[in-house]
Amino acid sequence: MFSFFNFGKKKSASVAKDRLTIAIMSDRDRTNGYPFMDEMKAEIMDVVQKYVGVRGVEIRKEIDGEIEALAIDVELDKNA
Amino acid sequence: MGIVIAVISGKGGVGKTTATANLGLGIALNGKKCVVVDFDIGQRNLDMILGLENRVVYDMVQVMDGDANIKQALIKSKVSPNLYFLAASQTKDKSVLSSNKVEKLITDLKEKFDFVILDSPAGIESGFEHTIEFADAAIIVVNPEVSSIRDADRAIGILDSKSAKVKNGEEVLKWLIINRIVADMVESGEMLKSEDILDILDIKLIGKIPEDKGVIDASNQGKPVVLDKKSIAGQAYTRISGRLCGQKIDMQNVEISDSGLFKRIAGIFR
Ligand SMILES: Nc1ncnc2c1ncn2[C@@H]1O[C@H](COP(=O)(O)OP(=O)(O)O)[C@@H](O)[C@H]1O
Ligand SMILES: [Mg+2]
Repeated sequence: MFSFFNFGKKKSASVAKDRLTIAIMSDRDRTNGYPFMDEMKAEIMDVVQKYVGVRGVEIRKEIDGEIEALAIDVELDKNA
Repeated sequence: MGIVIAVISGKGGVGKTTATANLGLGIALNGKKCVVVDFDIGQRNLDMILGLENRVVYDMVQVMDGDANIKQALIKSKVSPNLYFLAASQTKDKSVLSSNKVEKLITDLKEKFDFVILDSPAGIESGFEHTIEFADAAIIVVNPEVSSIRDADRAIGILDSKSAKVKNGEEVLKWLIINRIVADMVESGEMLKSEDILDILDIKLIGKIPEDKGVIDASNQGKPVVLDKKSIAGQAYTRISGRLCGQKIDMQNVEISDSGLFKRIAGIFR
């Protein structure tokens, strides 16, 4: 059972768990952004709406190495 | 009014269709009226697993478009009078579904059945979104393997943002099935154990299914493995079906191999 060669070597299932934990944390960051995303969208919409018609607002959190940014797209409503 | 359960996974080939067929039949054998619907447009499979491929005349898209009525399209199982099946259409065009049509179909089925189980396509694109949109609950199927678990987490993320229930401020129920567990490998630390998977995904476990050759034998014959009393996967499906019907059935530890069990018992007598 207690193999000399396995001594000190991490079992692959525990390597899998560590790698998955990190990968999933960063996936969730990327897709979910912040919990207040919807409120922020609504407020941005209100502000821009004062000046021009707005059809929708899309916000994405983008991560590039150390840099984190919010990409905000405001689609205008041509008919308004 | 019945409950609508979407069977999802993110990654393909992990056992969604097998689960849909077996849980549908397992629930029907518990005396509940159940319909299983194949939402995997363009890749009709559930009919084969249920052994009903020769009976398909109309599919669910024809029902949604009003080209057939639901009574004509529902196919009765050969094994249980409580189980019905609605086939996917074989069209290549995946854009045939629309939210309105799907909602109407599901509302109709909910009135007729206690359980409405939807077999989702793989991936997280529109076909998947239509499957989860009007579901009350989701069964997430994973294999104890990194890519399956990661993809499941992404599918859960979409479920939590796109489901009509969540948008209404209600909760969509989530149940995890860990499929294709190889006990020897879990014991030797070469396969993720269920506690680890639950730590990572943080949803409720409803069952663990061992790897079992009987599953392929069953699909060869078109007789779901839940009918095979000797099959360990079949027994696992029977337990999960019972839990879905509200029975209290203890979780069985399928992560101990026979030799591991023997060592443990031998240990008691030492
Ligand atoms: N517990 C199991 N043991 C052995 N083989 C399995 C098990 N569950 C599923 N399979 C096999 O895995 C393959 C994929 O299953 P399927 O249900 O079609 O997956 P999906 O619908 O998620 O693509 C099939 O060949 C099936 O027989
Ligand atoms: Mg499938």
